[in-house]
Amino acid sequence: MAENSTLASPKSTMALLSPETMAKLERMELVSRKIFRGRMKGERRSKRKGQSVEFADFRNYVSGDDLRFIDWNLFARLDRLYLKIFLEEEDLHFYTIIDDSMSMDFGEPSKFLVAKQIAASLAYIGLCRGDRVSVSSFETSATPVVVRGKASAHRLLNHLNAIDCVSTETTMADSIKKFCLKNTGKGIVVVISDLMSKAGYEAALRMLVAREMDIFLIHLLSPEELNPSAQGDLKLVDCEDGDRREVSISAGLLHRYQQTLAAFIEQARSFCNKRSITYVPARSDQAPDVLVNEYLRGKGLVR
Amino acid sequence: MNWISALGPLQWLLLLAVPPAVLSLYFLKLKRRELSVPSTLLWRKTLEDVHVNSIWQRLRKNLLLYLQLFFLALLILACLRPGWSGQGRVGERRIYIVDNSASMQATDVEPNRLEVAKRKIKELLSDTASDDVGMIIAFSDRADVRQGFTTDRSRLMSSVDSIQATSHGTDISEALRAAAGLANPGRSSFDSLNDLMVADAIPATVYILSDGAFPDLGDFDVGKLKIEFIPIGQPKSPNLGIVSFSVQRNEDKAGELEAFARIVNHGQVDADFSASIELDGKLLDASSGSVEAGKETGLIFELKGVDEGVLKLQLESEDPLAVDNTAYAAIRSPKQISVLLVTPGNNALETALKTPRVQQVASVRVESPNFLSEPGYRTSNTDASFDLIIFDQCSPMQMPECHTLFIGSLPPIRPATASDSGTDAKNDENSNKEWVFGTPQGPAVIMDVNRSNSITQYLEMGSVSIVEARTITPPESGEVLMTSDLGPIFAVAPRGAYQDAVLGFSIVQSTGDGVGVNTDWGIKRSFPVFVYSAVEYLGGGITESSAPSVQPGWPIGLLLSNRFKDFQVVGPDDQKTDLTRGDESRYTFTKTDVPGIYRVFAKGVEKPVESFCVNLFSSRESDLAVAESIGMGYEKVAASGSTIAARKETWRWILLIGLGLLVLEWVVFNRRVFI
Repeated sequence: MAENSTLASPKSTMALLSPETMAKLERMELVSRKIFRGRMKGERRSKRKGQSVEFADFRNYVSGDDLRFIDWNLFARLDRLYLKIFLEEEDLHFYTIIDDSMSMDFGEPSKFLVAKQIAASLAYIGLCRGDRVSVSSFETSATPVVVRGKASAHRLLNHLNAIDCVSTETTMADSIKKFCLKNTGKGIVVVISDLMSKAGYEAALRMLVAREMDIFLIHLLSPEELNPSAQGDLKLVDCEDGDRREVSISAGLLHRYQQTLAAFIEQARSFCNKRSITYVPARSDQAPDVLVNEYLRGKGLVR
Repeated sequence: MNWISALGPLQWLLLLAVPPAVLSLYFLKLKRRELSVPSTLLWRKTLEDVHVNSIWQRLRKNLLLYLQLFFLALLILACLRPGWSGQGRVGERRIYIVDNSASMQATDVEPNRLEVAKRKIKELLSDTASDDVGMIIAFSDRADVRQGFTTDRSRLMSSVDSIQATSHGTDISEALRAAAGLANPGRSSFDSLNDLMVADAIPATVYILSDGAFPDLGDFDVGKLKIEFIPIGQPKSPNLGIVSFSVQRNEDKAGELEAFARIVNHGQVDADFSASIELDGKLLDASSGSVEAGKETGLIFELKGVDEGVLKLQLESEDPLAVDNTAYAAIRSPKQISVLLVTPGNNALETALKTPRVQQVASVRVESPNFLSEPGYRTSNTDASFDLIIFDQCSPMQMPECHTLFIGSLPPIRPATASDSGTDAKNDENSNKEWVFGTPQGPAVIMDVNRSNSITQYLEMGSVSIVEARTITPPESGEVLMTSDLGPIFAVAPRGAYQDAVLGFSIVQSTGDGVGVNTDWGIKRSFPVFVYSAVEYLGGGITESSAPSVQPGWPIGLLLSNRFKDFQVVGPDDQKTDLTRGDESRYTFTKTDVPGIYRVFAKGVEKPVESFCVNLFSSRESDLAVAESIGMGYEKVAASGSTIAARKETWRWILLIGLGLLVLEWVVFNRRVFI
């Protein structure tokens, strides 16, 4: 089975998806609050009117319309030509972008692994529903792997396993910009990041908003960031840019840190809410399937 | 609270420079542990407002820095040596003078006064600072420096422990002189006022722990000494004490003895007592009586049929001081002295030697001068069995091994080889460096009699006329006893262990025609007195019926028979001390610490040849009243109670707290405790 091969992948330090999780995920589906145009015939209701069995509307016949869609019963009663319009069903474009900055490689389990698990879970849901699933990291945002169909699950998982945290100069904004240029289609985009970017995350998210996509931001933070356990006179070294901060950690300072953290989270939430981005806070010590099953379901991403 | 700086100005500067140094070290080098974090983004934001007052922020709530600064503050405080006037603390150089005289044995305080004094010293010692020097002097009637100046408290303590009670009297002056000698530098002369002190006096505090039973010290100069008198004992302790106990032969009734005792009541109330007298452990008599407060009473026991033995008077009275409730007296057996008179015939002398008084103390054997030339006398050392040989009008071939008295004759010329240093008796014509004898002249009138010598002490010689006499000049060590208008005519001089007395005129002169009288002294009243005195003095002085008594610790001079060479003294505690004959015939025995009877045994003789008593017999020691002040020099030192106002030092405690803080800091640093 494709799932098994994924689990047996030599690169996987931890199975991204367990069989039990997969079984649960197969019963779910991704939900978009918006109706997008797909690229291929799929299971999603499209904005476009098409040839499904589901009636959508009537409209006046104009010359050139396909005569097959004229509602002849109505013509017989009203003597006017009306066209019967059916809903079109298309596939859904589902994008996942994982923050692969070095800051994600922290925590036990690391935030990056949890991010990959979340991404894998969501992608698998999409694959099961025949959606077009694209997974990428910031580094590979220009060249994402795009798969469709449940059979491609192992390819997707292999790809996910293969990506790693990289110490890169690429900022979040640059990556999202490249992503937007490359992927012109619309759909659901899930960004999994800790937002710990000194350049800021606002510009990047704005770009996505401009694409009128259904955006979910999973803000993944480790327990160490939420409740630092460090004590004493420390020299904090930023693992991304080597920035050093000398702190003498005291109860007061920790209190202040908590205030700063709360403000940071609140700022992100507020920014997202204003732009119809669904902000989902997450902890890396939380089981990914719990996050997907319960939290994302509550947020309306999956059903 | 007051302060004493323990450091000099430069040291203070250095010390005060330390806190800023510690602070700057915290600014310059705060050792920080490196910790890799996902991002410093949040920390940077957290620290942004902190940076506004970053210097103080760094120091804020830094427990380690505070502990260090607190430690330094304590260190500085400690060096200021804060203290306050408290009780029980003492100065820097202290001399503890402990009374261990007899009265300190009193049990009016538990367990007794000496133990209380020792405990108080220990309390004082335990309160002293470690760099203070102390000195322990125990005194009774003499001073005993138990421990010289030292800072070693354990040595001081152990020397205090070693102080034992004695039965001695009390004389503090020697102890104070010892203390003063250390505190006040000596002058080479006390007579010259121009003599300046050569060194600075070292002030010292003297603590006298005593009941104050000693006389005022008169003009004692305390100098730099600060005297603290700590009285020991209950101020009003009742006590009955025997202050004298003696035995005399009843002059009226032969063979009877009278024992006489004086009992003093030092208490505040009248006291009844009963007294028992024992002879060699057997009860002889008992008596009871009462004494008014502050008064004394006499007790007389008439003892019949007692020839010799040891009398013990025991006062049955419950009072704190036991040592003065017992007194001892020894009755000597009469006729101790063995006298040989060698004379061709001298009625006056023989009669004088037959008086009852002389007979009581001496047994006299009379021989003619021929006896001296008998071979038996020469070979058998007959002379050694006599205490005194009186040579009347004759002289032996060589000096006998005993005391001699020459009357009208001269000591023989002795061979030069046999000369003991300065004891040769030689004829006048020879170059006698020692004895110088003049030629007989006459008549002679005695001008002067030496009253300080016991032989001639009671002699009245003014009416004595002498037909012919020769001058007698004794050697340097000798003593002229009578001086006539011709010059000295009676002298005594030591010869080794013996005394030789030479009278420069004879009483009678035996010639072939008969007996010629040379002087009328023989019929004077002073002649038997002279003979008795000469026998008593030259015969060894053992003439009293009761043995001599001394106070504990005092030396006793013993005039012992020359018939024996080696003696042994057995004390009341069965301690045996050997006496060996020195140059002097007088033995001095000093180990008289324990009250009781001391017996002197001669080698080879079962019975004691002499005995003496050691009795307290001190009204001052028996008086247990505690002095309220002591006269010290020209001032009075009042009792300062059992506590002493002195400086309490606290800086050691502060240093200790500082050390504790240092430990706490270490713990905090290792455990990483944060506030």
